[in-house]
Amino acid sequence: MPVSKYFSSSLHSVYNKNARQYSSSHKNTTNAHDINDQFTDWETLNKKKSISKPMKAYLERAREHDDFMKKQQIEYNIGKRHLTNMMGEDPETFTQRDVDRAIEYLFPSGIYDPAARPLMKPPEEVFPARKAAEFDEAGRPHHFLFYTGKPNFFQLLFDAAEHLENLHKFEDKVLRNKAIPEQKSKLDLSSGVWVSKDQLEIMLVETISDLEYDNFKLVMERLVSTPYSYRCIDFIEKFRKPLASQKFALEIPKPSFDEEGRAYITTYECLRKKARGDVTIHSPGTGKIIINGKDITYFEDIQSREQVIFPLIFTGLQNRVDVECNIEGGGPSGQAGAIRWGIAWGLRSFVDKSMLESMQVAGLLTRDHRRRERKKPGQPGARKKPTWKRR
Amino acid sequence: MNLSKNIALICKLPSHLTKVRPAVIVQTRFYPRPTSFPDYFQNPVFRKEDQATLVESNELSRIATVPVKPPTVAETSSVYYDPLVNKVINHVMKMGNKKLARSLVEKAFENIKRTQIERYHLAKTPEEKAKIELNPRDILHKAVENSKPLLQLLPIKRGGITYQVPGPITEKRSLFMAIKWLLEATNDKERTVHFPEQFAWELLDAANNTGKVVKRKQDLHRLCEANRAYAHYRWQ
Amino acid sequence: MLSRNIRYACRRYSHAVTFRTTESSPTQQTDNQFGLFYTVNKDLCKQLYGHGGLPKSYMKQSKTFAETAIMVRRPALDIINCIKATDLNKPAIRYVLYGEDGTGKSMTIAHLLHYAFEEGYLIVHVPWVSDWLRRVLRHKEMANSLTREGLVDLPLDAAAWLLHFKTQNQHLLKSPEFIVSKEYVWSKREKTEAGAPLHELVELGIARVKYACDVVDAIVNEVKLLSNSKKCKTFVAVDGYNGFFNPLTRLKTPTKKKVAPEEVTLTTSILELTKNDWTNAVMVLSADSIANPDDDTKNYLPQHLLYRKGFDHLDPFVPVKVDRYTDREFLTCANYYRDRLWIRGPLDMETELKLTSACNPFKFMEQCAPL
Repeated sequence: MPVSKYFSSSLHSVYNKNARQYSSSHKNTTNAHDINDQFTDWETLNKKKSISKPMKAYLERAREHDDFMKKQQIEYNIGKRHLTNMMGEDPETFTQRDVDRAIEYLFPSGIYDPAARPLMKPPEEVFPARKAAEFDEAGRPHHFLFYTGKPNFFQLLFDAAEHLENLHKFEDKVLRNKAIPEQKSKLDLSSGVWVSKDQLEIMLVETISDLEYDNFKLVMERLVSTPYSYRCIDFIEKFRKPLASQKFALEIPKPSFDEEGRAYITTYECLRKKARGDVTIHSPGTGKIIINGKDITYFEDIQSREQVIFPLIFTGLQNRVDVECNIEGGGPSGQAGAIRWGIAWGLRSFVDKSMLESMQVAGLLTRDHRRRERKKPGQPGARKKPTWKRR
Repeated sequence: MNLSKNIALICKLPSHLTKVRPAVIVQTRFYPRPTSFPDYFQNPVFRKEDQATLVESNELSRIATVPVKPPTVAETSSVYYDPLVNKVINHVMKMGNKKLARSLVEKAFENIKRTQIERYHLAKTPEEKAKIELNPRDILHKAVENSKPLLQLLPIKRGGITYQVPGPITEKRSLFMAIKWLLEATNDKERTVHFPEQFAWELLDAANNTGKVVKRKQDLHRLCEANRAYAHYRWQ
Repeated sequence: MLSRNIRYACRRYSHAVTFRTTESSPTQQTDNQFGLFYTVNKDLCKQLYGHGGLPKSYMKQSKTFAETAIMVRRPALDIINCIKATDLNKPAIRYVLYGEDGTGKSMTIAHLLHYAFEEGYLIVHVPWVSDWLRRVLRHKEMANSLTREGLVDLPLDAAAWLLHFKTQNQHLLKSPEFIVSKEYVWSKREKTEAGAPLHELVELGIARVKYACDVVDAIVNEVKLLSNSKKCKTFVAVDGYNGFFNPLTRLKTPTKKKVAPEEVTLTTSILELTKNDWTNAVMVLSADSIANPDDDTKNYLPQHLLYRKGFDHLDPFVPVKVDRYTDREFLTCANYYRDRLWIRGPLDMETELKLTSACNPFKFMEQCAPL
């Protein structure tokens, strides 16, 4: 009797379908129904099927979990109805987003960590997914790689190896026929990273060590770099996560015009460490830099001054724009870094596309979100530990 | 509110406590804000020459789509920025006092420049004049080149005795040793002599292939040569 | 040597602005020479600035460059024109130079000293006031003043200054007009009669260090009398004049009591000198915030630096602002450095250096040093 599934990931269901396929293909699984069909002996009918103790315990646990999840689901649904009642909304069209907003409104929390605030989500999201019965009553595993301990993971590698072999065979065939198909080039996966270790673990419902994850990445890289890899693009895309689209190229603001008719752009929220400020760039200018009302001599050390003029010299606009900034908080380094980012961000509007890409590659447009790491109790500093004693 | 009892308020347990984890836990996971940039951030390319090479190989647009780390506080795209000089300043720096370290190294360069200009004016013929190197950064490069060791001695224990076995050295370690020796030689100075002056003298000597640091490198090479017999211990 | 430099200038930087001028006499320099460098003769240099006068960093530069070249700038030319146009029969005019740190006040004074020397003025030059009042390395030789009660003497400093005075005015002191007007009695056996030449008095001060401060006082009086009687014209230059009006100095009496500037005899002498009750003289003073390093506010205006007392003492005066380099001056300076092999490299460096140094002459020199 296979225990019911309750995890919603489609991939996992794919794997389990495989598991079930394998189980059905083997002819020597002893199913209770099969036995009853084949033998009508009185002895065998009365023979009690002895289920081993661990199997019993497992079945018991699985049934309990099932019931628990069902109960949770019922409670969730009831709770949702109550919530809609409270908020005066229609229960049919109440989505999960509405639930989240309602909870935030009813139970406002000042806790910093979002994971510690009150939440109400469907039980599948809250409780980590568990695998279904990996073996049947007689103790025979469904998955052919069950005894590796991480069947889904090794199934993955197995599939990758299979694809690799197929690609090699295809290449051999092509070479034999001396035909050159259209797309011989390898896949160009420019924007995107491989799925992270945590996400892979969630996908496979299994824990993976760092070494195994690196191995997985190596295998996928190899698959991508073989010729004709476009044939396996579906398989590869499953494990490919697109990076967040680059914000620097979107929504470049248009400059506004002041009384004299000069174009100007103001960048607010220039942050670096504890420095906060805003930077205004006027376009037809002479290269004047004014910081908090003072000249560039506001910074006494050369390093800060160099940082402030860095974006101007990089783009070559040092004599063609005027810069005016107000900044407070932090120290000289932090303030200089904030101004540098502010100037670069503002110069986006006055610069053409190729220079914009150059700025991005130079890292001028990345916001430096690093902050000072806190000191931990029991240690003298953030990372420094007390003297290490062997015993 | 009575109704609140019926709403299931579940506090989600942090995921890393529900699953089985290996014993080593990375510190950064516990903090709401990451303290450094994630792995997939690329290093920035901000020097004009490096950008030009990228443009030639048509890689610029590709890298522009990937997130890039910002350049550090001491890096600029200006003409007179040198990564080696930055490294030397970092090695000279103590307790994070970059201002002082930078001023010391700059004063050392100034001293080098003054001595070299004096020599230039004293030299009579144009050939002699052409031989004198006036740019202090070039002298630094040359000095570091001349004091980089090519092998290093690795202590390998066999049968209770620790042998000093000659072995290969990576580029990074070689550079580190060169800078470290230069600074050690400078710090063995008399009380009345200031750091920039002594550093200038050491650099000029090293660029000339004379002086304490080059001697130390040559001693190391000689030791390696002498211990050639133990080289096979690396593979035993 | 001058011609060789001109050849270099013409050959290498024909596209760039020329940075040198052959006009090495400040009297002949006009607006045409704005921003250009002129070289000062080595012997003249030694004579005028042997014991101070040029800033220390500049002395190092001139040693490296193997020449002393001063840039002709607006404040100096303005003052020269004013001096040329003044009527020396009226009471002396006082010019006060002020500006941010490192913009060239001391260099302007040096330039004017050269001019005064050429025009035949009698030069009374205090190179740097803080040397007397603040520069206490280990122990400053101080003595209680003999002639004046309660005041402190600085014998060695006074003797050094007398030597400086002597070297600067060697040629003038030889003339027979400079004679002492009244008799000075130093001790039972030493005295200077009326009618003795001035340089004898100076030499007495140098030899007998004990009486050096009083000799300084005497010389101040004599110079004033000589100017009033039109026997000579005087040029007074004091660098860091606001040092005389600070609340405290770094000097301490043997009883560990702090000394105020008014209690030092040299201060009183110079203050006497800078009063405007005498004719036939020109006075150029500079108010420098470096002379008062305890003050953290970056206020370089004379009213703030001179305090109430100094302002009242100097009122009325002509303030002259010494500014940063203009674009043209910056370019000539950069070309001069290139010629002297101080900067090497592509021309882009100049744009960057201009922005980072904000055209401040001293900062520019500092930032060029390691390049």
